[in-house]
Amino acid sequence: MKTRATQFALSVGVAMLVLLISARLQAQVGGAALSGTVTGPSGAGVPNAKISVKNLTNDQSADTQTDAAGHYILPNLPRGDYEVSISADGFASKVSRATLTGATTLTMDAALEAPQAQSQTPGDNLPNAPSSSRTEPSLQDLGFPATETQADAKKQALLDKRTHMLKIHQRMGLITTVPLIATVIASMGAGGRDTSSASRDLHVALGGLTGDLYAITAYYAIRAPRVPGTETRGPIRFHKAMAWIHGPGMILTPILGAMAFDQKSNGQKVHGIASAHGPVAIVTAGAFGAALLSVSVKF
Amino acid sequence: MTKNMLMAFLLLALPALSPAESQWILEQGTLTYHVSHPLHQTDGVSHAARGKGTCHAGQCDFLIAVPVKSFDSGDSNRDLHMLQVTRGAEFPMVTVRTRLPESSSTSATFSADLEIQFAGQTAQYKQVPFKLETRDGATRITGTIPATLSDFKIDPPSLLTMPVKNEIPVRVEMTWRPQ
Repeated sequence: MKTRATQFALSVGVAMLVLLISARLQAQVGGAALSGTVTGPSGAGVPNAKISVKNLTNDQSADTQTDAAGHYILPNLPRGDYEVSISADGFASKVSRATLTGATTLTMDAALEAPQAQSQTPGDNLPNAPSSSRTEPSLQDLGFPATETQADAKKQALLDKRTHMLKIHQRMGLITTVPLIATVIASMGAGGRDTSSASRDLHVALGGLTGDLYAITAYYAIRAPRVPGTETRGPIRFHKAMAWIHGPGMILTPILGAMAFDQKSNGQKVHGIASAHGPVAIVTAGAFGAALLSVSVKF
Repeated sequence: MTKNMLMAFLLLALPALSPAESQWILEQGTLTYHVSHPLHQTDGVSHAARGKGTCHAGQCDFLIAVPVKSFDSGDSNRDLHMLQVTRGAEFPMVTVRTRLPESSSTSATFSADLEIQFAGQTAQYKQVPFKLETRDGATRITGTIPATLSDFKIDPPSLLTMPVKNEIPVRVEMTWRPQ
């Protein structure tokens, strides 16, 4: 009894192992996919259209049919140049070329036209459209290094994340500009001989809001992933250089401001290092504005 | 014996009598895309295009390819953003295919139907006009492809919440040499 159970468990284990290996192998062999939508002259999806692909290197073929909405997908295609034939009852057939470069899905939509009186050969719908002859040059003929032609899904994900974070950085930077300008305007009633605490409180509140928004803006720029092998060129260099001025300035300004606030609240004239609050704030705001303009306007 | 010799001669002569297959190689290619934004205009240039043309029975099939990442707009941040929106890491090459009659090389202008693969999409452009100039055995071709972002289902990138224009005309300057 025990032996039978052991044999059964062993058989299940072997079967699972075989399934696992075959799935793994399939994933390694395949990779690229071709998908798209086949539409008719009215723009509506064409159901049951036949899509055939032929690898121009090894002549291997695969085919599929569109679903009710005209969508199709051909998964697990090895990379290479393909001849793609699309045909459906009541429509003129269409032949195109596609290059699959790696483990990605290439979208190839096709708009089928009504059949013409004369029989069509591939490419006839365009007077000098690409032919489907085997003499056509392929991407491999051009001698690009494999590193340049291969898809890199990880790098794309890195770029997507970078762009997402920098978009937030850009928006937050724009939003920060509003309280920053308001703080500078409010400072006019907060310093000097003015003894009104309301003006000072407003200046402090706006300054605090600016600082918080600035911190969020800076976070998204600092945490945005770097793309290896990219040299910083152009106006973005100036934009980054300005950050070395407005970054420390945004830390120093509120510290000096707090000192100035205390002195002023105690009825004293702002003195010592606290008197640098104004000039430091102006330089900081100027650097922030210059950073914003450097990526917005072409000088 | 004479019959056999005649047969052998005919067999040897046949390939020579059939239409010869010739080739064109892209010696130098520059592609420049133009982007318009309400605040400024930008050009991205690539000199990394490679191409080949094969001719048979009076027709030539051309393939031109250029790595997406090779375009330089003068700002590394903008180039990385362009690479992202065009899915340049997933689809690293832009390919242009066309078929032309061999006789096109003797005229001053010609129009070509182009099939362009870019950003995982395929778009066709009909009758794109090109100028042609032959000098020192090389043929210089210039023209502009009226590409748009929507042709390749690319969301227009934006700066300061303002998106760029949909039109991204691509200026093509190529020097081809027959082999």
